[in-house]
Amino acid sequence: MGKTVGAPILEVEGVSLSFGGVVALQAVTFDVREHEIRAIIGPNGAGKSSLLNVINGFYHPQQGSISFKGRRRRQVDPHEAAQAGIARTFQNIALFRGMTVLDNLMTGRTLKMTSNFLQQALYWGAARREELEHRAKIEEVIDFLEIQHIRKTPVGRLPYGLQKRVELGRALAAEPQLLLLDEPMAGMNLEEKQDMCRFILDVNDQFGTTIVLIEHDMSVVMDLSDRVAVLDYGRKIADGAPDEVRRDQAVIDAYLGVAH
Amino acid sequence: MLLEEASTDTFPRLLLKQVEIRPDRPAIREKDLGIWQSWTWTQVVERVRALACGLAAQGFRRGDRLAIIGDNRPRLYWSMMAAQALGGIPVPLYQDAVAGEMAFVLGDAEIEYAVAEDQEQVDKLLEILPQWPRLRRIYFDDPRGLRHYAQAELMSLDSLEAIGRDFAGRNPEFFLDEIGKGEPSDVAVILYTSGTTGNPKGVSQTHAAMIRTAGVLVEFDGIGKGDDLLCYLPMAWVGDFLYSYAQVHIAGFCLNCPESPDTVMTDLREIGPTYFFAPPRIYENILTQVMIRIEDAGWVKRRMFRAFMGVAKRAGMKILEGKPAPLVDRLLYRLGEVFVYGPLKNVLGMSRIRVAYTGGEAIGPDLFDFYRSIGINLKQLYGMTETCVTVCMQSSGDVRLDTVGRPMPGVEVRIAGSGEVLVRSPGVMKEYYRRADATREVIDAEGFFHTGDAGYFDADGHLKIIDRAKDVGKLADGTLFAPKYLENKLKFFPYIKEAVCFGDRREKVCAFVNIDMAAVGNWAEKRNLSYTGYADLAGKPEVRDLVRECVEKVNRDLAADPALGNSQIRRFLILHKELDADDGELTRTRKVRRRFIGEKYDSLVNALYSGEAGCHVETQMRFEDGRAGTVSADLAIVDAKTFDDAAARKAA
Amino acid sequence: MTHLLYSIFVDPFVQMGAAPDLLAQTLWEGLVSGVLYALIALGFVLIFKASGVFNFAQGIMVVFSALTLVGLNEHGVPAYLALALTVVVMLVLAFAVERVILRPLVNQPDIILFMATFGLTYFLIGLGELIFGGDPKVMISDQLRLPGGSYRIPMLGGYVQMQKIDIAATVIASLMVAALAIMFNRTRIGRALRAVADSHKAALSVGISLEQIWVIVWFAAGIVAIATGIMWGARSNVSFALEIIALKALPVLILGGFTSIPGAIIGGIIIGVGEKIGEFYWGPLLGSGIESWLAYVIALVFLLFRPQGLFGERIIERL
Repeated sequence: MGKTVGAPILEVEGVSLSFGGVVALQAVTFDVREHEIRAIIGPNGAGKSSLLNVINGFYHPQQGSISFKGRRRRQVDPHEAAQAGIARTFQNIALFRGMTVLDNLMTGRTLKMTSNFLQQALYWGAARREELEHRAKIEEVIDFLEIQHIRKTPVGRLPYGLQKRVELGRALAAEPQLLLLDEPMAGMNLEEKQDMCRFILDVNDQFGTTIVLIEHDMSVVMDLSDRVAVLDYGRKIADGAPDEVRRDQAVIDAYLGVAH
Repeated sequence: MLLEEASTDTFPRLLLKQVEIRPDRPAIREKDLGIWQSWTWTQVVERVRALACGLAAQGFRRGDRLAIIGDNRPRLYWSMMAAQALGGIPVPLYQDAVAGEMAFVLGDAEIEYAVAEDQEQVDKLLEILPQWPRLRRIYFDDPRGLRHYAQAELMSLDSLEAIGRDFAGRNPEFFLDEIGKGEPSDVAVILYTSGTTGNPKGVSQTHAAMIRTAGVLVEFDGIGKGDDLLCYLPMAWVGDFLYSYAQVHIAGFCLNCPESPDTVMTDLREIGPTYFFAPPRIYENILTQVMIRIEDAGWVKRRMFRAFMGVAKRAGMKILEGKPAPLVDRLLYRLGEVFVYGPLKNVLGMSRIRVAYTGGEAIGPDLFDFYRSIGINLKQLYGMTETCVTVCMQSSGDVRLDTVGRPMPGVEVRIAGSGEVLVRSPGVMKEYYRRADATREVIDAEGFFHTGDAGYFDADGHLKIIDRAKDVGKLADGTLFAPKYLENKLKFFPYIKEAVCFGDRREKVCAFVNIDMAAVGNWAEKRNLSYTGYADLAGKPEVRDLVRECVEKVNRDLAADPALGNSQIRRFLILHKELDADDGELTRTRKVRRRFIGEKYDSLVNALYSGEAGCHVETQMRFEDGRAGTVSADLAIVDAKTFDDAAARKAA
Repeated sequence: MTHLLYSIFVDPFVQMGAAPDLLAQTLWEGLVSGVLYALIALGFVLIFKASGVFNFAQGIMVVFSALTLVGLNEHGVPAYLALALTVVVMLVLAFAVERVILRPLVNQPDIILFMATFGLTYFLIGLGELIFGGDPKVMISDQLRLPGGSYRIPMLGGYVQMQKIDIAATVIASLMVAALAIMFNRTRIGRALRAVADSHKAALSVGISLEQIWVIVWFAAGIVAIATGIMWGARSNVSFALEIIALKALPVLILGGFTSIPGAIIGGIIIGVGEKIGEFYWGPLLGSGIESWLAYVIALVFLLFRPQGLFGERIIERL
């Protein structure tokens, strides 16, 4: 691999989050370096998704801070996170089911569009030109993910594996600097998993996108990621290169040994 | 313009001719990033020049072979042309072949240069490299995923073109000089045929053979510059070379490359080709999709579809063929065109089709009639790689389901004593590449190619292909006995899943039949006929009558055919179990193993021929869960009505 | 008994056949009131689709906007300026609703939001009475240069009378629906609206601002309310009694589905036409007042056959 991992782009420091009495994250500190593929693993309910939700602003932690590209914040809003260049996918696919693949991808470009409300409402020249420019960008994503054949298909009619791919496409359409993938391979068959792995590696390689992913499939994590953080009961219990983590006794006890 | 006097006897010279005639018309289109990009003939020749000069600079010499592996992409076609311009021979390979199969072809054709579409194909070639180290250069079209490949053999086609432009700058005369050196008798392409046994063989076709054959085709259907063709069948298939490459360069129309193999249906709709070829399987897939969508549609649409398809069935074919049809039907058909057939053809991308062909295997009557009845001029043809396809073709207005048409102009067809079809034509191959022995086996001293198919001419001079020659036998009285032909006729009925016919060196033809569980089950449910399983359903007298009607329809057809009239099916029985590959009765590709079945069920065969009314049978069989067990049944033997020639004519 | 059956199942149709011009007249009147029902339902659908809020206040928004328009004119503001100001008032209202009701209550159960729109209803009634008084007012049709008078069109052996204002209402309503359809299907805003309707979570993640979308749909619903208010006001009076027409929107929504714009339109027309036909031909038989409940009966009959409404998305609750 020819990529160069840079300085930390995202730093999560001492983040604690609880819902009522239930503790989801406990003083988690976690960093992601530019251009790397960072995995978060852990048993069910370990707080992995909560961590992603904190990063993109769905949840607001009670303690700790998040700094992205050097801007330290106590909490972020999803809109701010998106504006700063964070895109994501969801564990249980959150696509716009009634819309076509093309329209779904176009929503990914929302923040890149600049024409004003009046032009939009009247679909005037500038808005129209802008639409075409963004369409060209979207076509690159379509080509990249090899989904030309489903451009005009309503997303709700697609099989699960393709929906996952479209969801990745919508995130890519935003040309993000940080891509959060919540179990991108959950529920896929072997071939679909291989395709998805290839896409993740290609995104990282060709666009230099920094990727944080949650994944259950250990072999996938080991193959894909540069560094792995392990969560258990809302705490980080290990962090390091895949091989180190695999040998870590605490990880074996908490995760590999017990849950699997 | 480019050459003093552009002659048209090799493909590179045809390209120059097209550039001269229509420099600025589109020669090829490809959908890329959602938009149809096109290249004019002038642009094409520049790209071919760059590729050819690049190849030459890399050491590619006259007579060298260039492997072409990938989907139908413009640059892959241009690479073929570039190789030919240098006097080399393109060898297109099937893109879905596994590395092992490719390794054989690379070795057999002694290939040192290869053009691969993408990472997938490059990976296969790199896997083969240790076995075939003579592969010197691999050029790729799409660089995606190949950034970190460091192999010295690899180079992108972009780089190759850059080298070529540089080379051409220093040797401005080179490209045209090389084209000038080409001879019509040079081999234009080597196409590997799969062959049912043994390794594939490379069919060497010359420029002259391909150009003359394509010329005949262009004239036959009046193909011209207004036509559009979508190339979506493998480049390694002779038809693609003939239709998408040879015809295009002769008639000068535009070739359209699909966006990806998955988008062919959408691309068809957007392009609306005027000329279309597909094997029966593809027509069947399209029809199935139509039917599924109709089932999903609202009831208004469904009712309309049913009603107008009824009209089409009644009158569509007559109208297509310009035969008289009742005025009411004509009016209804017009209406149907507006509401059903037109929109349907539009969705299928078939609204502009002038001629559509199918071939390669027998097409079911329902399928054939469906397309023709909605006004698509679907025709059949017959031929193989070794003859540049084009042996017989049906001409518009003279189309029949059970023949493949008359021999094409310039093609001599002869039927050998054994019933085998022999062909002599300008399109017969030069040789199997480096296989003089195999070539001698199929091309005789008079220059006739032995097709291996058995057939005969009917009274109107149409060729009828009945079977593979080696499977055809004779009845005791000398009548032709073509078991597969009879079996296929039976299998065209939805109720019959498999059939096995016996009769070689016997006095009459008898058959085993497997019913189609889904179709017959459905039929039985509509009649409130209860059954417990296959054996029970197969044993019902009502089902026997149903099958008997099918058999008798086949017999009536056969009676009308003087050559086969005697091979009507006299007696049959419905087997108590489904023939199964696990029991060795079918091959893995679901072809019946006639001899094995005959031996396994010899008591049944004997009963058929001894005139008994029934027979008891016990069979070992393997169940789906892997257990072995015995099934026993008492099977009834049914006598089917046969027809004599005159009666059949009257009935028809 | 036979006589009753005759007068229910045969006689009305005999009458229809005997006087086709009368039937055409009834159909036309049904169509016009159907269009107005459809406009109100459209306001409901816009808001329901984008925010999942069942806006009880849509009816009162119609009255409120009409009162504002007439009230401003009474205070000496020229008619067209008053119209423009009314638009501004509706925009302010949209911002206020988003800020005061929706934003604080986001992620609360639907019933809470529904109750909040109840509150909004009474607030608007109170505000309207405070500013403009409780007396019925007359729509400023002439000042707005809405056409008056009517056409008498010979048809089917008789005449059909068409009020010019009704024709104008139908045309304006159609234009408005077309404009909304284009906005929904062709523009980025429309795409964002559909996105929000599909999944809040996903919409947030791509940077769509829910607040902005809410303001837009409430404003759009406000514009629809102004149009409805003018048209309806021109046919009767502008008063809080108009609010009851909002209740007519409920059967329309039941019929058309809560999320479908075409459903609202076709549902509105079916209810409008059904009502007029029922009243005219069966009304004498069943006594007066049929108009107040017939719409519900029509909707219920449809509901028996299509629980999701004519065009509504099939309701599938996933576990």
